[in-house]
Amino acid sequence: MDRFHFALRAATLTLLLGWLWMGAAPPFAKEQTSMPGIPPEKVADYVHAVLEADRTIYTTHIVNRMQEKGIVAAAEHWEQENALLLPAQFLQHSGRLVAESGRGIRYRLIGLSPIYQRNAPATDFERKALETLRQQPERPVTGMVASGKKQYFQAIYPDRAVSAACVNCHNSHHLSPKRDFKLNEVMGGIAITIPLD
Amino acid sequence: MSETPPSSPPGTRWGLKTKLILSMLFVGVIPLVVGLGMAFRQGSQEIQEVSGESFAALATEASRKLDLLVSEEVARTSRIATDPVIIRELEQRRDTLHIQPSTERQATLERHAALWQAKDPAFVKTVTDNSMARLLREYYVGSHSETDQLLPTVVRAATKMLFITDLDGALVAAMSSKPAISHSTQAWWQGAYHKGVGQLYIEDVSFDQAVDSYVFTLSMPIMDSLRYEVVGVLHRVIDAKEFFSPSTHPIRFGKTGHVMLIDSRGIVISCPILPTGVSLSDMSLVPLVTLPHPGWVAASSDGHGDTSTSIIGFAPLAETSRATNGSLEGGSWHTFVWQSSDELFAPIRHLFTWMTAFGVIAVGLLATLGFLAASRIVTPVRQLQAAAQSIGRGELRTPIQIQTGDELEDLANEFNRMNTQLEAAFAGLTDQVTLKTQEVQYLQQSTDQILDTVPTPILLINGQEIVQYVNRAARETFNIQPEQLAVTPLFMLLPLDPATQKKLRQEFHNNGSAASAQDDVSRSTLLRDPLTPSMKQGPSPHRSELQIGPHLYHYQWFRLPGWSGNHGRIGLVLRDTTDESRLQDQLVQAEKSGSLGVLTAGIGHELNNPLFGIVGLGEAIQEEPDLQRVKTYARDIVAQGHRMASIIRDFTGVTTREVSDQRVPVYLEQALDQALATMQTTTDMKGIVVQKAYAGNTRVLALPDQLQQALSNLLTNAVQAMKGTGMLKLATTLSNQLVTATITDSGPGISKQHLSKIFDPFFTTKGQGEGSGLGLTVARRILRKFGGDVRIESLEGQGTTCLVTLPILAAPPEEGPWTASTSHSEPQPSRSS
Repeated sequence: MDRFHFALRAATLTLLLGWLWMGAAPPFAKEQTSMPGIPPEKVADYVHAVLEADRTIYTTHIVNRMQEKGIVAAAEHWEQENALLLPAQFLQHSGRLVAESGRGIRYRLIGLSPIYQRNAPATDFERKALETLRQQPERPVTGMVASGKKQYFQAIYPDRAVSAACVNCHNSHHLSPKRDFKLNEVMGGIAITIPLD
Repeated sequence: MSETPPSSPPGTRWGLKTKLILSMLFVGVIPLVVGLGMAFRQGSQEIQEVSGESFAALATEASRKLDLLVSEEVARTSRIATDPVIIRELEQRRDTLHIQPSTERQATLERHAALWQAKDPAFVKTVTDNSMARLLREYYVGSHSETDQLLPTVVRAATKMLFITDLDGALVAAMSSKPAISHSTQAWWQGAYHKGVGQLYIEDVSFDQAVDSYVFTLSMPIMDSLRYEVVGVLHRVIDAKEFFSPSTHPIRFGKTGHVMLIDSRGIVISCPILPTGVSLSDMSLVPLVTLPHPGWVAASSDGHGDTSTSIIGFAPLAETSRATNGSLEGGSWHTFVWQSSDELFAPIRHLFTWMTAFGVIAVGLLATLGFLAASRIVTPVRQLQAAAQSIGRGELRTPIQIQTGDELEDLANEFNRMNTQLEAAFAGLTDQVTLKTQEVQYLQQSTDQILDTVPTPILLINGQEIVQYVNRAARETFNIQPEQLAVTPLFMLLPLDPATQKKLRQEFHNNGSAASAQDDVSRSTLLRDPLTPSMKQGPSPHRSELQIGPHLYHYQWFRLPGWSGNHGRIGLVLRDTTDESRLQDQLVQAEKSGSLGVLTAGIGHELNNPLFGIVGLGEAIQEEPDLQRVKTYARDIVAQGHRMASIIRDFTGVTTREVSDQRVPVYLEQALDQALATMQTTTDMKGIVVQKAYAGNTRVLALPDQLQQALSNLLTNAVQAMKGTGMLKLATTLSNQLVTATITDSGPGISKQHLSKIFDPFFTTKGQGEGSGLGLTVARRILRKFGGDVRIESLEGQGTTCLVTLPILAAPPEEGPWTASTSHSEPQPSRSS
């Protein structure tokens, strides 16, 4: 069910991004054509809106309700415990599916106090962005980054503790380095990366 | 205690004692066995549960520990993989490769493979001695790491290979020349590269030829500086046993309890007993213990070659399992906690053994105590039984001594009381019997003495005509010896002629019918007139008389009813009437002559008076000159003559009329009326009230003149007694074949001394010349002749009642009832008739 859901979501994103790719690529590939393009900031904004909406619906209408009714809870080891994914895992896994699809656009959750080190900021840009967002969470931090010769557009959106489950888990996990998160606090960010070449 | 009651032969039935012991044993043993069984079962189950829970907890704990171990290792590996130098090197390599055409890339790979295969020192050096390889070596020895990030010695030793491939799977850096040159087709490489996204890949244990050991691998994707895509793969080959044994092997409990690590295929990764790389001995166990959550199971084998019931705790390595073979679905690792069932169940087995031993002891104790208790209970019961038997035989002399202080003692006391009461009752009974026997003996003696003093012979005969008893009179009369009794028949004792014998025997066999006939006669005469002497009954047609020798006996049978099964006896009473008959004859004769003398003297006396008058008057006439006076004398002589004639008539009336004997039916009431009428013509009865109450017309058989004469005599007496005034009541009553005529006057009555003489001839209370003294005599004689009688009842001063009884003749034609009438008769001068 979830997979289907994610697949559907991924397909939607793919379509959108595919279209963007087609739209965005020509100026680089075929410089003589002058089809109007969408700036990557806008693309990232679209993607983030979809991500936020999906995760909010998942959090409030699935996880919270299921837990309130005592039907099924969300847990970190959801595979073993036959539970629901945590909202954060939901986002990570959908990002993984998007990445595996090979379309180029990737997104992931990052934080300055992650439970797992793999979710720490990978670059200085990311770290600085997170620090900026902690102070000014109103706007995303965007910028151009490079890996070797590869150029990427990156947008870091602030990620707040949308539900009690987020705060509880991060404050109680034995691997968590920070245990004083509060509801609605900016816990980290969603990093959306779009390749430019 | 050991004696068996005589009424219960051993073998045929179980005694109370056996039953008691068996009951106690049953009562003790069954709950014991049931309890032991249940305790064992429950104990086993609880041990299973407790052990299972402990094992599961241990497995969980061990899995967490191992998970952490792996996670740490992953983190260390991750540090190498995120080294900026390595990333930069690989980014450059990516960028280089990116611009190469695919054919050129392929050719370069093949060339490098050949060089590596040939161990070309220059090429090997480029791989093992480039900047990345140096870095790897530094990480390995720890010179490049912080103090807390040093590879532990164990881990360092366990790491058999550590190398980096590029994004084509080609070896770019290695610590040794052991790794192959190309890995792009390897599952771990593809898993870690994961379409450029990259993911941790932990490979299940397998045998690695290069390092000659069972190893697991840890493949970490090396992401570019943006963590956007994979630029290479860091691969570690770790000896599973070396890596895990320091963590799993110390966890031991008991002799056999240990923790091991298996993968989802049931391959042992680390075990203190089994070698790494082998499968569990029982593959059916694998699905039971590789569940995605911790738990325990009671399996039919232990996976170590033993097929006894085993308790196995298990838990997945949650974090590690996510990366095994790329994902959770690709495989998972589990801890497996197990202890030999022999050891596990040893405590409960020991417990069971001990409980069985104690149970046996308890049963022994039960049997012993049961025997003692049963003996204590049964002994008094047997005493009671023996006592009851003694009481039954009446032999219990000493009281039962039971001091158990319970119901048995009460029972014994009751027995004693009962025995005492019985003895008392028996003693009383014996006394009574003795007393009664004495009474009976006394009675018998008295009876014998009485019977012996009776002068009449009495014999008792049984049904077989055997004489059983004779009294002294009989012994003496018939000369019977005592030894003859009870053997001699009656008719041999009595010398009788054959005819009499036959008659007697017949009567005897009719059970003394003569005796009963005699009874009937007595009964029929019950109502006879009491004035009639029995002597005048005349000889009975049933008269029982026997002539034995010179003696005449009146005999009578009587029956003695049987008693208590004995047949009745018949008694025979013989009364010697020889002398009695003779005496009576003499008496009759004396009476006859006496009466004649009195009669003669009476007649003489009666006749003498007028005769002397006549003689005196005759002599006076002879000397009397006066004729007138002579005539007077002569008239007196005639009167005297008449008187004499009247005396003679009276006398003849008694005797002469007896000759005519033509009896006819006469109505008694009519005869009474006629006699009364005749009286009224001759006697003044004006002052006398006559009251009649007749029962009817009663016929009797009689001579009418004589009956009337008799009644006249009686009436005359009554009227004369009243001396002209009073009440005369005449009545007839019927009763049982007899009619009684009652003549009651209200005269002065008769004194007692006269009452006994009034029937004597010539006895009279009247003055000289007023009555002959023959009236009542004559009346009685007449009435007795007709089968009746007369009786006088009188109380002095209260009048006299004369009762005449006569037998009634057969019923006459009905002429209507007579009604009582009252009349006054003319008063007449009193005269005797």
